[in-house]
Amino acid sequence: MIKNKFLLAFIILTSNSVFLESSNLVIKNAKIYDGIENNSYQGHILISEGVISKISKTSIPYAEKIYDAKGKIVTPGFIAPDTQIGIIEIGALSVTRDDEASIYNIGFSIHDAFNPNSVLIPWNRANGITSAITLPRNTSSPIGGLGSFFLLDSNLDISSEADIVMIGRFGGSGSSSRAETLALIDDMLSFVSSLDKKDISSDASIDEVIDDSSLASHMDFKPRDVKALYSLIHDNLPLIIKAHRASDIIKLIELKNTYDLNLIIMGAQEASLVTDEIIENNVPLIVNPINNIPNSFDELASNINMTSMLEKAGATLMFNVSRSHNYHLIRQGAGIAVANGMSYGGAIKALTSNVAKTFNLNNRGSIKVGNMADIVVWEDDPLEPSSMPEKVFINGLDTDLTTRSTRLRDRYIKDLEKPNTYRN
Amino acid sequence: MKNIYIFFYFFSLFIVAENYEPFESTYEPLPPTNTIFRNASIYDGEGNELNNTDLIIKDGKVVAMGVDLPSSSDLIEVDASGKWITPGIIDIHSHMGVYPAPSVRTSSDGNEATSPVTAEVWAEHSIWVQDPQYALALKGGVTTFHVLPGSANLIGGRGVTAKNLQRNTINSMKFPNAPHSLKMACGENPKRVYGNKGQSPSTRMGNAAGYRKSWIKAQSYLSRLDEYEEKSEEAKELSYKPTRDLELETLAGVLRDEILVHNHCYRADEMATMIEIAKEFNYKITAFHHAVEAYKIADLLAENNICAALWADWWGFKHEAYDMVQANIAIVDQARNGTGCAIVHSDDEIGIQHLNVEAAKALSAGIKAGYDISKARAINWITSNPAKAAGIYDQTGSLKVGKNADVVLWSKNPFSIYALAEKVYIDGAIAFDRSSGLEPSSDFDVGIINPSKNRIEE
Repeated sequence: MIKNKFLLAFIILTSNSVFLESSNLVIKNAKIYDGIENNSYQGHILISEGVISKISKTSIPYAEKIYDAKGKIVTPGFIAPDTQIGIIEIGALSVTRDDEASIYNIGFSIHDAFNPNSVLIPWNRANGITSAITLPRNTSSPIGGLGSFFLLDSNLDISSEADIVMIGRFGGSGSSSRAETLALIDDMLSFVSSLDKKDISSDASIDEVIDDSSLASHMDFKPRDVKALYSLIHDNLPLIIKAHRASDIIKLIELKNTYDLNLIIMGAQEASLVTDEIIENNVPLIVNPINNIPNSFDELASNINMTSMLEKAGATLMFNVSRSHNYHLIRQGAGIAVANGMSYGGAIKALTSNVAKTFNLNNRGSIKVGNMADIVVWEDDPLEPSSMPEKVFINGLDTDLTTRSTRLRDRYIKDLEKPNTYRN
Repeated sequence: MKNIYIFFYFFSLFIVAENYEPFESTYEPLPPTNTIFRNASIYDGEGNELNNTDLIIKDGKVVAMGVDLPSSSDLIEVDASGKWITPGIIDIHSHMGVYPAPSVRTSSDGNEATSPVTAEVWAEHSIWVQDPQYALALKGGVTTFHVLPGSANLIGGRGVTAKNLQRNTINSMKFPNAPHSLKMACGENPKRVYGNKGQSPSTRMGNAAGYRKSWIKAQSYLSRLDEYEEKSEEAKELSYKPTRDLELETLAGVLRDEILVHNHCYRADEMATMIEIAKEFNYKITAFHHAVEAYKIADLLAENNICAALWADWWGFKHEAYDMVQANIAIVDQARNGTGCAIVHSDDEIGIQHLNVEAAKALSAGIKAGYDISKARAINWITSNPAKAAGIYDQTGSLKVGKNADVVLWSKNPFSIYALAEKVYIDGAIAFDRSSGLEPSSDFDVGIINPSKNRIEE
């Protein structure tokens, strides 16, 4: 009996928000930034079985449950394109890191290391990030390592898209000339370009082609590595290369054109010096709009106006952050970009649909009929980092916005008469 | 006659040599931009919000603040309707100059990580005055910053407070008469750095022993010094002055309450230990820095009159930074009936440019936690509170008649992400003006991408 009383009290204490459990829901009176159009519109969003089934600007569609957004801003859930969510819990604690491999290199996938119970997931979700691309650390090879897409729904049965992108880096390294790095990437791509489906039909046949190639042998390629490289050329696998210097960006664009790569440049702190080349060759960029530090000799042109200059020129932009864990701060970066001249709608797209398009995340990243209902209702302007989500729907489900951080906070502001270990 | 002059010349040299105080500030403000701001909204850094208010700055000082102030012909009139004014922002934790940009080995001079106690080193002797980061911080409204050595060591050395007016020597940037500070560090960093070298400290208990051993040495040095100084002039001639020791001079300066202790410390239990050590050796801790767990001991900090200099939300990069709560700053601020001292710091070359936004996040989290905190109070976290922790509050950190005219004019309410610093004044002289394009650029910026332009000139 006493036990039950405690249980009841526990339930009352912990369930301070009411969850909308329904297969059929309408979010009414929303100010919708859909991630497609630059401007917002007033409307009602019907969600059925996790999918956006209707968007009405006039009459409110019928649904079992209604959530009244009361005119607040509603956006697609933000997608963070450059994170380590799920594979690094504590940066300086190597036993909590799964971002590095020792045997596999180019073909190393972090997908199976993903921890859906990481505290970073509720934390970023409560700040409006509904999904993320998780990337490994750069390997010893200038291109290599595969990143995956994950839904941040804290479900042990994870929703993901494995190995959707390869990463790489190019620039000043302090060890060998960037000219050698470029030559090496060129040779690696040339090697896999010469292969056909038959060559990679089995690990045994891949081992044969490795043995026949001095480069592949020297690089100690494994079949997984060759398969990953093959996907760059033959499956149009997106390749994110971190590079900054204007001349480096030009070289990468040449490489893209030689091998018809699906190239995305990350960092790109000198992109404003080579805007025309970037636009003409359709290279999406992942930039950190708040980073104006000339942090290396490759980044001398770093400029707080870069993001708005690139937008005006027509570049496809996505955002990352400079520090770990708070990947949601891409919206602070977006706000800074807008403060310095970027359009508001453009900033919302950079946080949503641009990522979905670039990485072929079909059915996500925008509020349109047929898409999965990853939707955030904001207390206020989402680009003000002091404004928080009021509701976060992932696959149409109303998610828990409690975080370890809010729980710890409550321990130190409530029930203070009890010893801290006996509080909530 | 001539000989007498020669005598006086040499005599004066002798005097100078005996009494020369090295590393004094030679700071000179820019020529004053005497100005009246009309119809501004003002957060004064004293907890007040004033609307439709005029502010006059003249000859380097705040001269008047009020409604419909009379103008005079020597004042530039600035229409501040719809705009906001705050005191100049102060960052209590910066590594500008000691970890300059570009971040390269040759000018990475923040950690003398060769011995766990290096109280003898001074951050100001590492500072690179051509760091391009100062100008970026200025555009974010930062008028004063406090530079500390890094946190590799238990006792890392002296910090320095500087005006954000870039000059080609550090002495000409130093905040006149600002007290020196001492950087100490708890926790993972010193025990990792020295533990990896196979020497003490390799544990937190090793850390604690390290501080205590140093203070014992400092006490003994100080008593020898006191003993000598208390002697009569005749007795002094008959005895020897204790040999100068740079390490112990710094520590003795702390024990004499002349040097302010700034202590990097994340965990609540370690901060409590550091408070015990401070009491054991009778020195004061001015502020704990980074203090991710300050909220767990907010009352203890308030009772001991210790500030906490904090990030709004950074966490998780190491174990001692795992328990972050966004309301940390608000909880510290509200401790013991609002007597706590909370500071938003950057420790970061990007964060320093947006301390107003960092304060906005911290305020929002505080309000969500149920506290009734005004924006006018929250601005203290980046103005008057850091001024107090740097020991310069009598001169700057709030807009009061007679104080230095360190002023920022914002395009919008500074708690908005869209607010930009439009004009920044240091000692009543305009140092940055967004509309006219007036902004400093370091020598580093000159002609480095395009020889005929400065680095970020378009």
